[in-house]
Amino acid sequence: MSKLSLDEPGLLGLYRVMIRIRVFENAVRRLAKEGKMPARFGLYTGQEAVAAGVSAHLGPDDQIGSTHRPLGHLIAKGCNLNRLMAELCGKATGFNKGKAGPYHLFDPSVGALGANGVVGGSVPMAAGYALADQLRADGCVSVSYFGEGGSNQGGVQETLNLAACWKLPMVFICENSSPEVQRMLGHEIDYPQLSIDRVSLRAANYGMPGSTRDGWDVLEVYKAAGEAIKRAREGGGPTLLEFKVHQLEGNLEGRIEANEKEKVWCPIELFKAKLTKDGVLTPKIDEKIREEETTAVQKAIDYAMSSPEPKLSEAYTDVFAEGG
Amino acid sequence: MDMREITFGEALNEAHMLEMERDQDIIVFGENVSSGWRAATKGLKERFGRERVRDAPITETAFIGAGVGAAIAGMRPIVELMLVDFSLVAMDQILNQMAKSTYMSGGAVKVPMTLRVLTGAGTSSGATHSESLHGLFAHMPGIKVVVPSTPFDAKGLLISSIRDDSPKVFMEHRLLYPFKGYVPEEPYTVPLGVANLVREGTDVTVVATGLMVHEAVKAADELKPEASIEVIDPRTLVPLDEEAILDSVKKTGRLVVVDEDYKFCGFSAEVAALVAEKALSSLEAPVARVATPNVPLPYNPSLERHLLPSKEKIVGAVRRAMG
Repeated sequence: MSKLSLDEPGLLGLYRVMIRIRVFENAVRRLAKEGKMPARFGLYTGQEAVAAGVSAHLGPDDQIGSTHRPLGHLIAKGCNLNRLMAELCGKATGFNKGKAGPYHLFDPSVGALGANGVVGGSVPMAAGYALADQLRADGCVSVSYFGEGGSNQGGVQETLNLAACWKLPMVFICENSSPEVQRMLGHEIDYPQLSIDRVSLRAANYGMPGSTRDGWDVLEVYKAAGEAIKRAREGGGPTLLEFKVHQLEGNLEGRIEANEKEKVWCPIELFKAKLTKDGVLTPKIDEKIREEETTAVQKAIDYAMSSPEPKLSEAYTDVFAEGG
Repeated sequence: MDMREITFGEALNEAHMLEMERDQDIIVFGENVSSGWRAATKGLKERFGRERVRDAPITETAFIGAGVGAAIAGMRPIVELMLVDFSLVAMDQILNQMAKSTYMSGGAVKVPMTLRVLTGAGTSSGATHSESLHGLFAHMPGIKVVVPSTPFDAKGLLISSIRDDSPKVFMEHRLLYPFKGYVPEEPYTVPLGVANLVREGTDVTVVATGLMVHEAVKAADELKPEASIEVIDPRTLVPLDEEAILDSVKKTGRLVVVDEDYKFCGFSAEVAALVAEKALSSLEAPVARVATPNVPLPYNPSLERHLLPSKEKIVGAVRRAMG
């Protein structure tokens, strides 16, 4: 599964996943504005290269722990779009019967073990997934996503230490839209989340390798993640990978399309230019991929819209495990 | 069943040994669980190896969270916390992630984890090493709260907890560890949600939990010449055997609730409210509560004793209830 060089279908596969995430999130934005979703929430626009490049190395039995911008991670991990959209709409046919919404979504069938509403909250749990992998010696790994804000949480720092002490098969992925990145975008920051520009510097404190890469370059993500995941699979222990990212339209108030300045940092535009230059992507292929993904997302919307609301009695179920 | 007299700590140890032998997915971790000096986990590493029994760094958030994750991923972790007071540094993982993941996921994941915690005052350990806190966990939806009071219950309730698919906080009063009692050698379960009728009586119902069950029994002994006391140990606060409490109050008409946890918004208030809602007409006297006042527990032994429930205070409360 984890080849470190990509053939043409592999390259186009990465591109397709990024398009799928963007199209899906743009649809979510529209639906929220039209009042067809119960809530607005954090989106992943501009970070698609990270989830796509990481998940290309993961199978359904590998686990991820995600954040409050989970859609990219979940889609790249292979979550069914229909049930995902239904969950976001709070419908009974969603992965979690409409009880999770975006921030608490679980789809164990593809190892998507949790978006998380608490910044850094999924990171200790991801160590538990890795512990289960290690004890079962099944060659699986867990990937723990968090942001530069989450990287400061005590639980994240504790878990970096625990994972190194127990040599857990996991990869920590910090998606950093920190001051350095914000400055690139021309934003003013009074008090930053971090006093350092590179979260990966902290890896050395816990005795694991760490590096910082451009998160807008999907091939760089693919390569770095591939090496770290391979190392974890082979028993080499955890790695802290940091990817610089631009949150192009980080919330629902944002626009559907990136502006000209932002486009320079758009991972999809960048990859499209490269693939076109290398002769892998033609306008025709591009159009086909976009059409197919748009159709799939429209199907997901139709599925969600035609799905029933959960019964009111569902409010009381699942407090404890079934039968308990 | 072959019964022998063993301690509370030894009973917990037997539950671990028998269950870990039976199910490879049971793993144990926490602070110093591999060392021989703690009765409950003694000898586990030697028998089951350093993979399944491992020491964790002193980082409660990380290792409790790892327990939650391992449980979601299909293991059956028993995570030990040296003292319940230290759970307070890991509340996100306990009260958000452990407690709510099953509900939030609409039942798509389960968290069959047992968080074993030592609790309790009476050792001059001060305000952050003496608490009970079962009321705190019982307040949050999604956690079963297990509070054994005897060696027999300790073993049977721990086996039930390990096999149960929901998250549990299993609360062991450290002064109970040397208590001895008759315990079968074989594995057996004490079901979660079934109270123990410790002592039958007709005049006053005393509901007590953990170490306080023993104080209640001592009080019942002392009161024998003047009143017949029924002592009920709920054994699990969540789920709560409401029927056992209500049936008893309907019989006796009087209720005293004894709780080492803080009084305000605590378990003792919950039991009083239960009876007020569902059996008020049976009451012949106001409900009396003997619980720790809302004061941090002091180091000085006299001050500490002054605050904690005791046999003497229970006797006084029963006499007031008897009018």
